[in-house]
Amino acid sequence: MSRRVYLDHNASTPVHPDVVAEMLPYFSERFGNPSSVHGFGREARAGLDLARERVAKFLRVPADEIVFTSGGTESDNMALKGLAFARGKGHLITSKIEHHAVLRAAEWLETQGFAVTYVGVDEYGMVDPDDVKRALRPDTIGISIMHANSEAGTIQPVAAIGALARERGIPFHVDAVQTFGKLEFDVNACGIDMLSFSGHKIYGPKGVAGFWVRKGIKLQSLQHGGEHERRRRAGTENVAGLVGFGKAVEIRGRDLKAEGERLTALRDRLWEAIRARVPDVRLNGHPTERLPGTANFSYRGVESESIVLGLDLKGIGVSAGSACTAGSVEPSYVLVAMGLPIEWAMGAVRSSLGRSTTAEDIDYVIESVEPIVRKLRAAMPVGA
Amino acid sequence: MRYSPTLLDHFLNPRNAGLMREPDGTGVDEYEGCGDLARFFLRVREGRVSEARFQTYGCGPTIAAASAVSEKVVGRTVEELLNLKPQEVEDAVDGLPDDRKHAADVVAGALRAAALDTLRRRGGEA
Repeated sequence: MSRRVYLDHNASTPVHPDVVAEMLPYFSERFGNPSSVHGFGREARAGLDLARERVAKFLRVPADEIVFTSGGTESDNMALKGLAFARGKGHLITSKIEHHAVLRAAEWLETQGFAVTYVGVDEYGMVDPDDVKRALRPDTIGISIMHANSEAGTIQPVAAIGALARERGIPFHVDAVQTFGKLEFDVNACGIDMLSFSGHKIYGPKGVAGFWVRKGIKLQSLQHGGEHERRRRAGTENVAGLVGFGKAVEIRGRDLKAEGERLTALRDRLWEAIRARVPDVRLNGHPTERLPGTANFSYRGVESESIVLGLDLKGIGVSAGSACTAGSVEPSYVLVAMGLPIEWAMGAVRSSLGRSTTAEDIDYVIESVEPIVRKLRAAMPVGA
Repeated sequence: MRYSPTLLDHFLNPRNAGLMREPDGTGVDEYEGCGDLARFFLRVREGRVSEARFQTYGCGPTIAAASAVSEKVVGRTVEELLNLKPQEVEDAVDGLPDDRKHAADVVAGALRAAALDTLRRRGGEA
């Protein structure tokens, strides 16, 4: 067995070869500090400026509103804590299915005297804008709703929530780590004021990400030091990484639409074949309003990690919806928030497709899943 | 590799998985705070295990540990099984990672319970 199929693109992606090529000179030739005035520094600065312009062009926003960060987590923290600290007190609205970078930051802000409302989701994992509206208070200082969740892939009605936020003059943050470079959207049309996005989900390197903040939105900087990133984020920029990030964004701008259509077709082919072959299986997430490459299925009564292990032994990399660590199994909080019964939530397996995924890969996965689930069910006290 | 070849072999091809008709004893154990569950069925001839079958719900190591130890206990006396230690189960799959030690606990617990049930039934019949 030598075949290897990577279906965990929502976790991370391989760096695009053109991105690697663009980065390489910035390690040992154009290595200067972009803040230096000499030629070496100016070369690095030029690379950084180009990266920023590429990101800004893709988002259709002014380049000086882009802040480079170390990851989606830092961008999310910048939004929530930056907003909260700039105001000193108040109330935030977010959802129960946010990434931990938002949830844990919000929970921590609660310990610092801020109030937070966590709105729920429906069975498809979708936030109801009316729930956000009902959660509004006179002291609400910000709304943070993700664009799409990494597990279920459901795309949130951010434009409706953005309209609501704009009407009330409340800053609206969107964690777009899973949609940036995968879906077309316009931050202005959606009423978004702050956006978090990351490099390694779109074939760029790890450790580089972005944060867009609309001019006029007051944020407290979290990291103090030099004058980098217009004093929003001190620290010498990761020039080579950011050059790669910029290139990755440029490539996504070119490939996004065609690849989205291709992955949607492959994703649906996977689901149709699995549900035809495997009994007691269900699709998690919205049937249509979902990330192109995300396919999350629950196999009732089977423990998801055993399926992940079975597929791993066939060279297939997918992700478990529940995590078993040191004797405690936790079903995904996202699937639980969607109201999925526990015997289904424990058997959730997510496949996330990407640019290297072929129809042959999908057929190999289809062939591999059925015998694994059948064997596991044969050894189980329930089902079978 | 995170798991031993023995463990992976038993995970992929579990031996003695499934129900047993009219067993001489059955036992279940569930790991506290964790969904992992194992159930064992024993057939006993002249005080010794002639066949052991199991059902599990759990991560791969639990299935593998149950399969491996189901072979190892054949020929052992029921009294010996009353004192089965998790270490013996772990040894049957050539070791477990630290965060999967509970697989041995739950499998050993189910086998001890099955042994106790066998003795109780025997006592009841006497």
